[in-house]
Amino acid sequence: MSATIAAGVITPPSIEYSQLCPMLLVFGLAVAGVLVEAFVPRQARRGIHLVLTLGGLAAAFVLTIVVASSKSLFRDHAAGHVAAMGAVAVDRPTLFIQGTILVLAFVSVLLIAESSHDVSSFAAQAAAIPGSAEEREGLLAGITHTEVYPLTMFAVGGMLLFPAANDLLTMFVALEVLSLPLYLLCGLARRRRLLSQEAAMKYFLLGAFSSAFFLFGIALLYGFAGSVRLSAIAAAASSDTGSTTLLLAGLALVGLGLLFKIGAVPFHGWKPDVYQGAPTPVTALMASCTVVSAFGALLRVFYVAFGQLTWDWRPAMWTIAILTMVAGALIAITQTDVKRLLAYSSIAHAGFILTGVIAATAAGLSASLFYLAAYGFTTIGAFAVVTLVRDPAGEAAHLSQWAGLGKRSPLVAGVFAFFLLAFAGIPLTSGFTGKFAVFQAAVAGGAVPLVIVGVLSSAIAAFFYVRVIVLMFFSDPAPDAPSVVTPSVFTSAAVVLGVVATVVLGVVPQPLLGLASHAASQLFVR
Amino acid sequence: MSHLTTLAATTAAGPGAASITQNLVFWVLAVISVTAGVGMVLARRAVHCALMLAIVMLSLAVLYALAGAPFLAFVQVIVYTGAVLMLFLFVLMLVGVSSADSIVETIKGQRLAAGVVGTGMLILLALGIGHGAIGGARPLTSRNGSGNVSGIADLIFTKYVFPFEVTSALLITAALGAMVLAHRERTTPKPTQRQLSRQRIAGSHPTPLPGPGTYAQHNSVDMPAMLPDGTPSELSVSPVITRRGLSSQEAGGPPPGQVEAPGKQEARP
Repeated sequence: MSATIAAGVITPPSIEYSQLCPMLLVFGLAVAGVLVEAFVPRQARRGIHLVLTLGGLAAAFVLTIVVASSKSLFRDHAAGHVAAMGAVAVDRPTLFIQGTILVLAFVSVLLIAESSHDVSSFAAQAAAIPGSAEEREGLLAGITHTEVYPLTMFAVGGMLLFPAANDLLTMFVALEVLSLPLYLLCGLARRRRLLSQEAAMKYFLLGAFSSAFFLFGIALLYGFAGSVRLSAIAAAASSDTGSTTLLLAGLALVGLGLLFKIGAVPFHGWKPDVYQGAPTPVTALMASCTVVSAFGALLRVFYVAFGQLTWDWRPAMWTIAILTMVAGALIAITQTDVKRLLAYSSIAHAGFILTGVIAATAAGLSASLFYLAAYGFTTIGAFAVVTLVRDPAGEAAHLSQWAGLGKRSPLVAGVFAFFLLAFAGIPLTSGFTGKFAVFQAAVAGGAVPLVIVGVLSSAIAAFFYVRVIVLMFFSDPAPDAPSVVTPSVFTSAAVVLGVVATVVLGVVPQPLLGLASHAASQLFVR
Repeated sequence: MSHLTTLAATTAAGPGAASITQNLVFWVLAVISVTAGVGMVLARRAVHCALMLAIVMLSLAVLYALAGAPFLAFVQVIVYTGAVLMLFLFVLMLVGVSSADSIVETIKGQRLAAGVVGTGMLILLALGIGHGAIGGARPLTSRNGSGNVSGIADLIFTKYVFPFEVTSALLITAALGAMVLAHRERTTPKPTQRQLSRQRIAGSHPTPLPGPGTYAQHNSVDMPAMLPDGTPSELSVSPVITRRGLSSQEAGGPPPGQVEAPGKQEARP
């Protein structure tokens, strides 16, 4: 390099476009969506956005499969390839995660596109003050923000890059690229706008703090290793040079930033508020895709950069996993709002997946990958059902309003009950297979106490899931009970996909389990 | 302390190259920037906070220049101090809302707990970094090559070209987000000048509305002008400020004794 600089010439970088094409396609279509916003008249925007977003996500998924099945990438048993001058890793676990994110994002966009029971889930005019005359005018005009489609695409692009980032700098940029659109989307709810704006504000402030911690950790790790490449940090850590203090402090701070994104206790404070306030389709997107992406990044950092330090980080991660499982399950019992309930359930599930992460083996990785895919479908389906139970003010989120739902609309209540049973981990649902896989990996990794805590908190969690089911089927409906709207093809598709995935992954999990373990067999590329 | 001195030395210009001048400048700026940083957190007025932040940023710029990174130093001055922070100040001055922070604790003992935990974190980090021996920095030439600017260009456009390009997604998102949050589209046709003038003549105020009491005691636009009888004129304050829930007194008006409360409600159109 010094030779080229001395000559004053910079050699052009080599970018492996063919390997990066899924990500580049998503980013490109996001920019195209912004152009649509600028030049296309309002009436035509939604249709074009739907074609661009849904088509783009599907095409990116196909491209991911093409990359994953390419012979040259994995020639001679290579774990993968480090593309884009060392910034992006293309390997099997990453491609599995990216494929999962793309499918889940596709289903979430179906929810975002729903427009039959309201004009949309998003505000008519986000700039209009809640309760003002301008807001009323916008609502009466029946307009909505179609900018949510490009924003979603940007978020998905960031989510694709986050688990693939091979150095911490790229990972930080990806973290911001995925977070910023989500902060915005959280504040755009059409109903209960103050709650939504408060959620966006909280998410933004806490997210900014966690990003600052993450960045501080990167700085300390750079001070330790002299590089931000994950493999260089691993090499410096194993060669036992440099200051261990910096390494451990950096590990803690980078870990904090990542654990915040997955919502592990004690960094979970934002999750219930944000999940409750955000428009429900955005909540579904966050509960599925963001969690998958953040776990992907967590797995890469802890398996690649800190792979030799398992003795150092395991005790802390044990504590966090136990806290997350127990606190998530216990606090969920006291909740009276369906979306908050699902948020705490999501926290508890993050704890279950952490038990797979802690194993730090190929089995742990494959179990985590499977769990993430299975949980994502179920959670989107559950949030899709939440959008259907409505009263005149919007979604009827209070649990007391769900009493007796099973008597009035048995199908919707039955589907929701099925998703709750899957969350609880009842056999023949994907939740059981996922839990079995991570616990098996944890036992093989010697974490028996962790598994016992996991099983106990599953039992606690099952209690409140069953309580909701009992409430829906065995109590009488309240006089002001909400109505269940007939979903359009979009929400129906999301719910059906959720149900089918939950059943199939519960009854015949072997194909996806096989795929996950094949993806995890060689761990991450370094 | 010795570790910190090494840190200072390596920050300055690599091991062995640190002259007395560089050490001196580092320590002076260290004191100034840390004091300003603490002051920024503790200052009550938002304008003072912004000015303290400017001091921190300028100190950082000098440190960058001292460490052999002139490009970063100039960017720090031009972009952050010059553009971003001045925009902050403009907004603070224009809105003119004096920030009286709410000191009500919604959770009991929250501030004490936050203070204890924050101090603990600070001590932990100080001890950690103070004890962390940072290896000798590589000589500047290995990073800078033929010059600082071309060295940075080399890194941005080769090794880190992908994250650099992805940052553009962040900027587009920010611009789009600003539009979404701040731009309101018209749902009714824009009134013409003829309609506006008709409306004005037909209304109760054919003359322009009175300006705010900007020049009397305060320099903010949310300060109502005084009518000849001493009562504040509600018409003089833009309805946007009052509509946001800030009465003229909350928004930095004179203390309660000076302004007569009666007449305020009636004066509102």
